[in-house]
Amino acid sequence: MGRSSLGRGSALQYATLVLPGMLIFGIGVIVPMGLSLCYSFTSWNGFTHDLPRSGLANYGHILTDSHVRDAWWFTIRFAFWNTIVQNVFALLFAVALDGNLKGTKIYRTIFFMPCLVSSIVVGFIWLRMYSDVLPAISTTLGLGLNPRLFGSAGTVLSGFLIANNWQWIGYWMLIYLAALQSVPMELYEAARVDGASRARQFFRITIPMLAPAFTICIVGITIGSLKVYDLLVSSTGGGPGRASTSIIYLIYDTAISGRQYGYGSALSMTLILALLAIAVVQLSVLRRREIQL
Amino acid sequence: MKRSVAFAAGVALAMALALPGAFAQGLTTVKILDGQSTTDAGIEKLIDQAVAAKYPDIKLEWEIVGWGDAFQPKMQQYMQSGLPDIMIGKGQDVATYAGLGVLADLSGKPYLKNVLPAAVASGSYKGKPYGVVFNALYQGVYYNRKFFKDNNIAVPKTQAELQKVIDRCKSLGVTPFATHFKDLWSIGNITMQFAINDVFNKTPDWGDQLRAGKASYAGSPEMKASYGYNKLIYDNTWKDETFSLEQTACDARMVQGKAAMKVSGSWSIQNFLDVNPDFDFGIFPFPNQSGNAKLIYEPNITLMVSKTTKNMSAVDKVLSVITGDKTLDQKIYDLTKTASMVKGAGPTFKNPSQKDIDAYVAKNQLVDAGSGNNQLVWGGFQDENAKDIAAWLQGQETIDQALQAADARKASSKP
Repeated sequence: MGRSSLGRGSALQYATLVLPGMLIFGIGVIVPMGLSLCYSFTSWNGFTHDLPRSGLANYGHILTDSHVRDAWWFTIRFAFWNTIVQNVFALLFAVALDGNLKGTKIYRTIFFMPCLVSSIVVGFIWLRMYSDVLPAISTTLGLGLNPRLFGSAGTVLSGFLIANNWQWIGYWMLIYLAALQSVPMELYEAARVDGASRARQFFRITIPMLAPAFTICIVGITIGSLKVYDLLVSSTGGGPGRASTSIIYLIYDTAISGRQYGYGSALSMTLILALLAIAVVQLSVLRRREIQL
Repeated sequence: MKRSVAFAAGVALAMALALPGAFAQGLTTVKILDGQSTTDAGIEKLIDQAVAAKYPDIKLEWEIVGWGDAFQPKMQQYMQSGLPDIMIGKGQDVATYAGLGVLADLSGKPYLKNVLPAAVASGSYKGKPYGVVFNALYQGVYYNRKFFKDNNIAVPKTQAELQKVIDRCKSLGVTPFATHFKDLWSIGNITMQFAINDVFNKTPDWGDQLRAGKASYAGSPEMKASYGYNKLIYDNTWKDETFSLEQTACDARMVQGKAAMKVSGSWSIQNFLDVNPDFDFGIFPFPNQSGNAKLIYEPNITLMVSKTTKNMSAVDKVLSVITGDKTLDQKIYDLTKTASMVKGAGPTFKNPSQKDIDAYVAKNQLVDAGSGNNQLVWGGFQDENAKDIAAWLQGQETIDQALQAADARKASSKP
């Protein structure tokens, strides 16, 4: 009796705690997703009161739309290179700053500061860097370089990778740093006693012990990069042409500016599915790796 | 003690919340969505002051967005939740939103008499006034008059003459055209300028013919020529920089004498005169294939009213102030460096290109930008075409692919 009463009380307590979050999540995420799914079966332009049904036509169009293919290609390349570069450099910086270097705290602060700046502002900063500051430096030093990376379809991706990595490496570095500092020193001491070199210690102890941090960083960077939007808005506007149009940018452009709300909704549904699939695959692979290690 | 403190705090809070409401009784709030061009920043303060001075019982609540990138999305949003009382857009918005049945018919409104007949005509849809045009922009090729004069360069009227000007500029070591293709709207704007004189000048209902399948981008030599002019300009500008350059920097270079011409509109005048108040410049229409190009006039600030506004009386008062207060109007024209569409009011700033404009007006060589913009909508069509043109200039597409892409999206072209 008493246990049952306690169970009911606990359930009520849990429900009370969970309900606000559930409500916010439901109203802010689930309901819009449901509406988006409904709109995706229409050819609604976002203006009219009637919602002309179009069945699966929008989904069929996605398969043949070259702009969708190009936007995904840009987004995937952006996510791929970000994931590699950010993880490698964040880990290297974390290892470097985990030691007894002089001025470690200052370096950490400097590396971390860019991630406090809004991506919109980062876009402006790098637009100015590429269009004004770096060309002026190049001219002054007589380097003969054209650092206007945002001005050409061939270099715009590199420009964004530099800007995005500049912003976020410090953030992921802190995650790795925290993970590094939680590795028990006894493991290193035992390895040293066994005569393991620094490199062997790094690959046999440090890397395996960082597996949970790898999971967080890889999934976080990948998903974050796949959702890139604000950085593009304030710098290139998806250009030149459509050379830096990400999938989210295309969705906004199609649904809002392009007055194809139904088609834009269908695009957003496919993005949700893709993000889910990528996250599930990454998590299952990385978690399995964590267990193995 | 604690209870009395809490009670006193509660009473104070209730009074603080209730009192402003009590004081606000009798005050009508008019909501305005203002889709501004770069030249328009600051007009809201001038209007606020003028309305407050004449109608202290009216409060204006402004929402200011960039016309090019945010006006249409905002309208889309408000069409679901209820439009603001007044919308300020461009002349071409009248056809779009009156066509959707959300604008008030302004027939018989007394303030229509405050503006020029052309201002009412440009704001009309199917013969009824749904918008009041407040000012106008002129579009064409702005040129450095002193440079032209010093080097005995005549204003070109044909493509062959334009080519000679380009060659002469190059021989003098001056970049023929100032451009800022980083701004997508700039590519879209100049392409429409070319099309107005080469396509719509010849076939006034070309947009309707496109949608009816009687005309096409890929099959029209005139439209192909219009696209081609972009290449002519791109080949004669700072190619390595134009896709990284913004309007302000570009206009400054023009004033500094680094370029001789710029296909643009009155929105550049503000920048020109900011950099050098004595800069001497003129304007001519970009030469078309037949040598009869006209200077383009664009209805700019256009006042529209929601069909469902509950504050029509206050809205009427606000519009009567905007179109009837000559001091206010002159301040706005001087700030925006634009031409007047209000009777008896005009700018007082020195506009070196005015004598050219007057000459084209006298010769009836003027064409309304609406001849093209009212047939081919900007959002979702012209802007997408501009992206294809940029991709073509960057070598990512061919001109034929860019033209075919425009044909493929013709269903989205209707305003």
